[in-house]
Amino acid sequence: MPRVNTGQIISGAAHLAVIGWVFLGGVFRSDPPQVEVVEAVAVSSEEYAAIMARQSAPEAVADVDTPEPPAAGEAAPALSSGADAAPETRPPEARDTPPPDSVPEVPARPAPAPSEVTDSAPALSVPAEDTAALVPERSLRPQPRPAPRVAPEPVAPPEPDVRVDDVTRPEVAPDEGAEVAEEPQEATAPEEAATEIVTEAEETGAPAPAASVRPRARPARPEAAGTETAAAPEQPPVPDTDRDAVSDALAAALNDDGTPAPRRAAGPPLSAGEKDALRVAVQQCWNVGSLSSEALATTVVVAVEMAETGRPDIASIRLLRHTGGTASAAQQAFEAARRAIIRCGADGYDLPQEKYARWRDIEMTFNPENMRIK
Amino acid sequence: MMRFFLSLLAACALWAMPAAAQQDSGPLRLEITEGVIEPMPFAVPDLVADTPRAQDFARRLARVIAADLSGTGLFREIPAQAHIGRITSFDSPVQFADWRAINAQALVTGAVRLDGAGRLVVRFRIHDVFAGQELGRGQQLVGEPDGWRRIAHKVADQVYSRITGEGGYFDSRVVFVEESGPKDRRAKRLAIMDYDGANLRYLTDASTIVLAPRFSPTGDRVLYTSYETGFPRIYLLDVADVGRRVLPTTDGTMSFAPRFSPDGRTVVYSLTQGGNTDLYTMDIASGRSTRLTSAPSIETAPSFSPDGSRIVFESDRSGSPQLYIMEARGGDAQRISFGQGRYGTPVWSPRGDLVAFTKQSKGRFHIGVMRTDGSEERLLTASFLDEGPTWAPNGRVIMFTRETRGERGEARLYTVDISGRNLRQVATGGGASDPSWGPLQE
Repeated sequence: MPRVNTGQIISGAAHLAVIGWVFLGGVFRSDPPQVEVVEAVAVSSEEYAAIMARQSAPEAVADVDTPEPPAAGEAAPALSSGADAAPETRPPEARDTPPPDSVPEVPARPAPAPSEVTDSAPALSVPAEDTAALVPERSLRPQPRPAPRVAPEPVAPPEPDVRVDDVTRPEVAPDEGAEVAEEPQEATAPEEAATEIVTEAEETGAPAPAASVRPRARPARPEAAGTETAAAPEQPPVPDTDRDAVSDALAAALNDDGTPAPRRAAGPPLSAGEKDALRVAVQQCWNVGSLSSEALATTVVVAVEMAETGRPDIASIRLLRHTGGTASAAQQAFEAARRAIIRCGADGYDLPQEKYARWRDIEMTFNPENMRIK
Repeated sequence: MMRFFLSLLAACALWAMPAAAQQDSGPLRLEITEGVIEPMPFAVPDLVADTPRAQDFARRLARVIAADLSGTGLFREIPAQAHIGRITSFDSPVQFADWRAINAQALVTGAVRLDGAGRLVVRFRIHDVFAGQELGRGQQLVGEPDGWRRIAHKVADQVYSRITGEGGYFDSRVVFVEESGPKDRRAKRLAIMDYDGANLRYLTDASTIVLAPRFSPTGDRVLYTSYETGFPRIYLLDVADVGRRVLPTTDGTMSFAPRFSPDGRTVVYSLTQGGNTDLYTMDIASGRSTRLTSAPSIETAPSFSPDGSRIVFESDRSGSPQLYIMEARGGDAQRISFGQGRYGTPVWSPRGDLVAFTKQSKGRFHIGVMRTDGSEERLLTASFLDEGPTWAPNGRVIMFTRETRGERGEARLYTVDISGRNLRQVATGGGASDPSWGPLQE
């Protein structure tokens, strides 16, 4: 007798349970859809036409209930804002308005005086700005709104260049020749700088100043010599124990020979598109039409230093080397290349400022192989 | 194991660091391979002068200088009406900003005066406007007032040479055949003029037909062919006194198509004898001739190479006129033209690198150039009839004859750059053919 596997028993029981749930649980039974019952009413053709005529009344929108021009002394009239209200389905609240077929009249609304403002607000609010479609086409220019500020006494609008204040003061101008007292202001001065580096060893043994007890300042940093510097923020006091360490670190970082400080971060390299843009800009001015055949067979490498504005430093343009021609031909080719760099860089090349260190020094190879007379 | 791997990685990083740092710190490098070919804008304000007579020369000198440069097609003059700056003193610094504003890339300034001997003294400078500096050093020319045009041409030659790097060609002359009258009874005479058509002067009268004048290397003599005796014979003419003599040839022969050797002492020419045409050379001093070719075909239109070692000529030995090169003393010839059509009138370039020729193909005539090995053939012109090229002294420009079609067809002289651009008609006043461009004048 074969042995019955426990797994087979579990599988069979599971199958039986699923089959029983399908048949007894009502999986295949669906509730019948509920039928909606609507009452139908027989309508004659005349009644149907009358209903349709009432529903299609586009003129009603244009027939805006417009109030009569208010009498003098009354509160400011208000336009109806019932733009969305169909005349027949939603009659306006103002029932004492003229018939809707009356021609809209232009309300000659006087400018409301601020003094006539009372605590009793008008029944209808001022129409919002989005009701402009309801205003008749022959409307006058919109009247200026009354001053938003309410005061016991009316105040004439001030001159446009008068500063608004609580009280009115006439303009007072100083007489010619009158002494003008200078306003006190903080004394400012550029940061101290020297024209050369003076080390302690080079300092002469001058006597101590008689009128001051302040110690002499240290010589300025090399890169600040002779240049304007922005006001540096005040540094927090450094403990004496740390000052020596910082000085040592600065001394180690600075070059002893007084060379300029290292340039700022180079930034990411120029993209291929940026290089191509520069190349295209230069070659637009590289005119080889006036070059000799020999100069057209000469490739020159030209170095140029660029200013941060993108303009080439004309004095820095120099011929580094040449191939394929005599020195005379190389000179002609170099001059044509120099003209190209200067002419198209007169307004500054379009180069990314943040990558200035990448394009400060440029070497351009002018290869006229494709431009030769063959 | 991990420590070993990390150590190896660190070593590689240290090894690669200097190279990367160097790449970052080096200059930005670009290669420009495409440029533009367009005339260079330049300005030539009137030269500074202190007397009314000198002012007249100053104005005319400036106009000729500007015309010379503009005529090359390599320069474009900015007219005086567009000038912002004024040159009032030859020695004062140039306000380059004024000239940059009108995009003048080159500026020529100068001054003119008449010295105590009545000679014209012209000083001039060339400026690179955008570089803001002078090109080379200022120069001074002195000459007779009648030769003011030559002075202007020499100034233009200097400007051209300084900017392009090539020698100029403005102070040169052209000898040609002046033609007049209807086609069937056309009168021809030799004439000489400046390269731009000025100072026209006749060397012969119209009593006989003259053909193919050729300048000597020094420009003081002219070889030409005349039918004075009924047969074509070669004459040697002195330009200064218009004296002439016939070169000795055997009676009953026809000699034509002469051309000087580079040293000016030998003439190479064609001689027809017994129905056969071959090439010969003749020593001008002794009159002794040497035969170079001996073939049943027609050999003609010889031209020396600049060094005088070889001769390019035209021959129909292959069945149609083609171009050949041989040694100056004769011998085997090497064909260099292999294109479709008929080639003729080859002329060796003064630079020695190109040969100009006339080509007839598909019913049209062309002026073309090719290298001396026959490669890189380029046709520069095309018309009903273009023929007879001659080189400018600098080898950059070619002058040739263009004849129009029909009963009233007329021959005129034209110039074209060897790039095929800047085709211009030379002002000769009337019909002209067979030009020969002389050297720069001393």
